[in-house]
Amino acid sequence: EPASSLPHHSFLAGKTNLFRRKKNPFSPSSGEMAPLPSHPITTRHVLSQLLTLLLIHSSATAALPVNVWPKPTSISWSSPHTIASLSPTFQLDYPSSNRYLSAAVSRYHRLISSERHRPISDPTAKFSTSPTPLQSLSISVADLAAPLVHGADESYTLTIPNYAAADATANLTAATVWGAMRGLETFSQLVWGRLHGRRVPIGIEIRDAPLFGHRGFLLDTSRNFYPVEDILRTIRAMSYNKMNVFHWHITDSHSFPLELPSEPGLTAKGAYGRGMRYSVADVGRVVQYGYEHGVRVVPEVDTPAHTGSWAGAYPEIITCADKFWWPAGSSWADRLASEPGTGQLNPLHPKTYTVVGNVINDIASLFPDPFFHAGADEVVPGCWKTDPSIQSFLSQNGTLSQILETFINKTFPQIISHNKTAVYWEDVILDAGIKVNPAVFPPEHTVFQTWNNGPNNTKLLAAAGYRVIVSSWEYYYLDCGHGDFLGNDSQYDPPPTSSDVDSNGGSWCGPYKTWQKVYNYDITYGLSEVEKGKVLGAEVALWSEQADGTVLDGKVWPRAAAMAEAMWSGNRDEKGRKRFAEATDRLNEWRYRMVGRGIKAEPIQPLWCLRNPGMCNTVQPFVPQ
Amino acid sequence: MTSHPIATSHVFSTILTALLLLIHSSATATATALPVNVWPKPTSISWSSPYTIATLSPTFQFDSPSSPSNHYLSAAVARYHRLISSERHRPIYDTTTTNFSTSPTPLQSLSISVVDLAAPLIHGVDESYTLSIPNHSATAANLSAATVWGAMRGLETFSQLVWGGRRRVPVGVEIRDAPLFGHRGFLLDTSRNFYPVEDILRTIKAMSHNKMNVFHWHITDSHSFPLELPSEPGLAAKGAYGRGMRYSVADVGRVVQYGYEHGVRVVPEVDTPAHTGSWAGAYPDIITCADKFWWPAGSPWADRLAAEPGTGQLNPLHPKTYEVVGNVINDIASMFPEPFFHGGADEVTPGCWKADPSIQSFLSQQNGTLSQILETFINKTLPIITSHNKTAVYWEDVILAPDVKVNPAVFSPEHTVFQTWNNGPNNTKLLTAAGYRVIVSSWEFYYLDCGHGDFLGNDSQYDRPPTSSDVDSNGDVDSNGGSWCGPYKTWQKVYNYDITHGLSEVEKGRVLGAEVALWSEQADGAVLDARVWPRAAAMAEAMWSGNRDEKGIKRYAEATDRLNEWRYRMVGRGIMAEPIQPLWCLRNPGMCNTVKPFVAQ
Repeated sequence: EPASSLPHHSFLAGKTNLFRRKKNPFSPSSGEMAPLPSHPITTRHVLSQLLTLLLIHSSATAALPVNVWPKPTSISWSSPHTIASLSPTFQLDYPSSNRYLSAAVSRYHRLISSERHRPISDPTAKFSTSPTPLQSLSISVADLAAPLVHGADESYTLTIPNYAAADATANLTAATVWGAMRGLETFSQLVWGRLHGRRVPIGIEIRDAPLFGHRGFLLDTSRNFYPVEDILRTIRAMSYNKMNVFHWHITDSHSFPLELPSEPGLTAKGAYGRGMRYSVADVGRVVQYGYEHGVRVVPEVDTPAHTGSWAGAYPEIITCADKFWWPAGSSWADRLASEPGTGQLNPLHPKTYTVVGNVINDIASLFPDPFFHAGADEVVPGCWKTDPSIQSFLSQNGTLSQILETFINKTFPQIISHNKTAVYWEDVILDAGIKVNPAVFPPEHTVFQTWNNGPNNTKLLAAAGYRVIVSSWEYYYLDCGHGDFLGNDSQYDPPPTSSDVDSNGGSWCGPYKTWQKVYNYDITYGLSEVEKGKVLGAEVALWSEQADGTVLDGKVWPRAAAMAEAMWSGNRDEKGRKRFAEATDRLNEWRYRMVGRGIKAEPIQPLWCLRNPGMCNTVQPFVPQ
Repeated sequence: MTSHPIATSHVFSTILTALLLLIHSSATATATALPVNVWPKPTSISWSSPYTIATLSPTFQFDSPSSPSNHYLSAAVARYHRLISSERHRPIYDTTTTNFSTSPTPLQSLSISVVDLAAPLIHGVDESYTLSIPNHSATAANLSAATVWGAMRGLETFSQLVWGGRRRVPVGVEIRDAPLFGHRGFLLDTSRNFYPVEDILRTIKAMSHNKMNVFHWHITDSHSFPLELPSEPGLAAKGAYGRGMRYSVADVGRVVQYGYEHGVRVVPEVDTPAHTGSWAGAYPDIITCADKFWWPAGSPWADRLAAEPGTGQLNPLHPKTYEVVGNVINDIASMFPEPFFHGGADEVTPGCWKADPSIQSFLSQQNGTLSQILETFINKTLPIITSHNKTAVYWEDVILAPDVKVNPAVFSPEHTVFQTWNNGPNNTKLLTAAGYRVIVSSWEFYYLDCGHGDFLGNDSQYDRPPTSSDVDSNGDVDSNGGSWCGPYKTWQKVYNYDITHGLSEVEKGRVLGAEVALWSEQADGAVLDARVWPRAAAMAEAMWSGNRDEKGIKRYAEATDRLNEWRYRMVGRGIMAEPIQPLWCLRNPGMCNTVKPFVAQ
């Protein structure tokens, strides 16, 4: 117990009476809590009992004020359920030597002090009330130095004793500062009510740890630009949901918003404009903000395809740049890109490696995360075939796959040389046309991200011994379902009396992925135990053809939260049944709390449904037609 | 002055054609575009050659009629003066590379003349205007309109002609403009989820930017009754979601006033006799099947109590119903000066009425029918509505529903308008052929909420095995994604809808116009702007100047770049509209097109 090194959190000392210096920072009794009458229950039990009760005809609604999203692995609340107020001088005691933890504690203290969340479900049900306010939360961390990397121990235990006779102190213990951050988030969600009526359940014990170490969100900042503030707000929202990877798809064919010290021309010529670039300082801010929120920032600079925006600075290394993407009269196989915005790096041009080398070196130093995402998706044959040097290579019996392999063989070692794990999209070994011999990718240095073919590709990759991040578009692409964005598209002009030509509404990946669809996806479906062990986790993705900062929150939330719970504690109850039904009310409530925290998440139901629990359910099982 | 009348579509399509031909040119090829981008596109616009640009004088002013004056016009003039003074719209197209002549003389003023300052804002009011910005010599532009409402449309057009930090404006421009349809509306459901007044005002503002003129306020429904009524205070007291989620009489006045200042009529709907579960808090005795589970286990769909969660219908056999409804109608009629009064009357669900003993007795002992019960309700309430000199608007269901419906003879065409929402243009034809005026809100085209899945809890349709054989190629059992009205209606789908398809000329003359609708099961203020814009703008243009070029060809292709540009301008004006393309597409005109005609599979 690092009790002797526990200062208290004093950033607001002297500014407000909410926060007072604690004389005796660590109460000896708090670590020796007497055994309390307690029966372990899960909130699920309580909620489902309540739902059952309320389903029928009751009008007065009551619900437990305990609603932590994602739901903890295990939570027990001793009987009788008791509520305490939070002392006006409530404070957080913590080891101060880790600056990320310090920042997190400051943040949660501010949040707990200022948030006025009132549960939508009526919280006035009769609970016992403790006469003694909760005075503090004491945080202890076993290894303050453990870095934020994949697999970092994020477990924590949070105990708020039923302190009739003991000191009114709660305890949060974690193996790492990152686990402590998860516990702080949980604690913040246990608190509700107004400033002078902040309440918290006591006699509660939570033991929690994630099922999957990788719980991410991909944002494409190339097709449309997002100001840094949007990214920071998103990382903040991710931390509320215990998500831990911000996969930053920074560049693509449409724009190159990243300022790189060694290659300033790429953004000077490739960004949408002066106000639409990320400076080195911006990146540092995002990375720092990520650490403070326990969110890794994994950069992706997609190569060798998706690089049309590089042509402004280096037209000689980009094939088929600025061409019309799918010329009239040509077949889909001969397209130059899968969507408007053409251009691929030319692996046969020596200068390509000068530029890519500089880019990799810069990225490796700008982003400390050990994962480096190099893209390698959607190499389009038609684009490379337009280039004379490639044509000449092909005419000498070379193949496009060989050309891609050349590129990988020259760039992959460079990534590894920075002690990075290379992440690639599945295409680079699974693509039907252009692909590389998997032997090029040692499993210890390579992670693949899958996006096609549901769990089948996950199984292929895991069976081959690779670690996998799952982003199946059928479940996790948050942009889908709003139609196609092409101009001059006659598919939306059928006679009004004809039925829809395409019930997906013209979106290549429609329909819209509902939160339930996201929530229910079993990413390890059909995998053996060994294969399952290779699945690092998942990412929902927002490709930005039809999104930018104006609609970001509504597109991402609460659907990313649905994935967050599925990856943290799963989408099933302890009997192994999918728990989407009981998750509905919890997610609904959580959505309102997120809105209160400044995240403009989409509503999932009429407010009436929360006020009338169970009444918006269907009791008709779905039967495929 | 040499001038040749051209339609902007000509100009744009010329540019697009030119750019399409530049398919293989490099990105440095100058993407030229006219800075004239008025949405909705005016009926007729001419810009004399050579195209000339002037700046707005720093002392630029509006000269509007001061005596007699119209205070709505005064408010609009003040507002547009502020907008033009503060807006710094930079067209996304790079206009700096385009060679325009520049007039040495700044534009000093816009003179506004209105023939009839007293014409009220009602359906069919003359919204035409002429805007002339003369070339070179003169320093005053002229806006003339028959009514203040037309003048407001012209002011909006003028505001969209101005751009840039140096406030440039094309000169030598003449615009003659008038709408195709008099009813260009947006329906907002404020019952299923609540919207603060500020959201409503911002929406009305955005509507005026798009020359839309009807805010159809679906105020109440089974889920909440947010409207405070002086004669029936209990309805909101017991039926609203909470104290902060009510519209006071003052709030309504503010919305109505704001509407007039923006040329937007505020048409109230208090849906009756179905969709009234929220009335039961105050009057449980007049509501059948209130607070029941909507679709009990084991019962067929035909026996549901409501089409979605949230049960309750007014009981037309209970005398007290008419006391309450009468008070409600009287209050609404005085709070909303608009001559249209929407009485709802959609989706009367048989199972709900059948749950009531008095109705059961009527059905069994008097061989009565549910349709008779509905007719009773209409016969007692329609005269109250018309007694206030209102035109009653009803949803089509009241005469077209397959089960519970009223004899059309009850509804005289001169006092009744029907709003259609089913069966595309077919129901529009049915209604107009019967002699009624029609507002078109076909869900297949105009329901902005569709396509985000179903909102029911405990819904097993989203939990299929990922590789099971009963899913389609997308892994979905239902490729509409479970939304009853999916897929999502894209802006193109909205834009292309011909609301008078298949109608005779006489029938066409009875179509007042259209409304896009946002039902709020899965929407509230957090997502309002993005749900509505720019898709409502797509309808706005189709209703104002149409969706076809002068050759009668659908103009969605050239509309894409214009709408894209307009979306950015709306965002600059504080409307968080959804982007329709990567910014790259505007920077590279034509390059995001498809040149493959769609072939149905």
